[in-house]
Amino acid sequence: MSAVKIWIIIIGMGIVTYIPRALPAAFIDKMKFGKRMESFLKLIPYTAMTSLIIPGVFTADANNLSIGIVGGGIAALLAWFKCPVMVCVLGAIAADFVLYLFI
Amino acid sequence: MDKNNFKNQYKNGFKAGVPVILGFVPVGIAFAVMARQAGFTVLQTCGMSFFVLAGASQMMSVGMYAQGAGILAIIIATFVLNLRHIIMSTVVMNKMTDGSKAARIVAAFGVTDESFAIFSTEKEENLTIAFFFGLISATYPSWVAGTFIGAVANDLFPPILTASLAVSLYAMFIGLLVPNLRGNAKLCVLAVMTAVCNTILCQFMASSWALIASTLICAFIGSFFVDLDDKKEDNADECC
Repeated sequence: MSAVKIWIIIIGMGIVTYIPRALPAAFIDKMKFGKRMESFLKLIPYTAMTSLIIPGVFTADANNLSIGIVGGGIAALLAWFKCPVMVCVLGAIAADFVLYLFI
Repeated sequence: MDKNNFKNQYKNGFKAGVPVILGFVPVGIAFAVMARQAGFTVLQTCGMSFFVLAGASQMMSVGMYAQGAGILAIIIATFVLNLRHIIMSTVVMNKMTDGSKAARIVAAFGVTDESFAIFSTEKEENLTIAFFFGLISATYPSWVAGTFIGAVANDLFPPILTASLAVSLYAMFIGLLVPNLRGNAKLCVLAVMTAVCNTILCQFMASSWALIASTLICAFIGSFFVDLDDKKEDNADECC
């Protein structure tokens, strides 16, 4: 009964994925944290985002390191000059598209 | 909050989520192709995106399924891979300035790497639940739509285009992170440290654990020396 098995997997995954998302919503009421804790929480977005980017971006194309370097590099350059996020994304896609034409 | 304000915030959130669509549609397509190859029907493929909304774990699970893994193994692996959302949701809910508990519990479903990244770098006045609902109104449907497109019509897209789109989510994270680094040398140091830490940890453990560990360890270390208010004078909205 693979259809039943697949649906059990889907629903089970849905539940175990939702629980970690919902717990903080259920238990955090704009708590007042101490100064160190506040600073720690404020830094998490930056450390989490850095971890999401590196080293993952280098495997954007698992067979071709240059795709990640060029796409990511263009995005970083545009972002450094405060281009809107959309421009960074489109710039990176365009750069990789052109790169694929040549490799 | 009055109705007009809610509407405005919702709209702003939606706009902020638009770059995610460029990433979610192609990744959704890629996931759907994998799922179809693993033997999922169109409905099951779309159903997983609809109920789970977590790309990496969805790809992992259909991969495991194709290799004959059991139900429990797949669900436990999913739980571990998505445990990072507890950190992200904590930050999002702590930053959110309004919303009833019930509404927040509903909104929590939309906490992903992407919505977290956007919301947590938003300016103070946008940290409302209306903004967050607007944000996930752009991201969630595009994830399901991308999945649907991939499930029914994958071969319509030139491979060079889908390959080029692979970088888009990374580019989005870069676009959100990098402007914050300008004018704050200590935050730059922390980012480099985190990148090195995560890269090293990735050699020794699954990348989902490495991400959790490097995020927490480096934020903790950073709390001793990084002052986020340093960069305020550089926040003028000049643009390219």
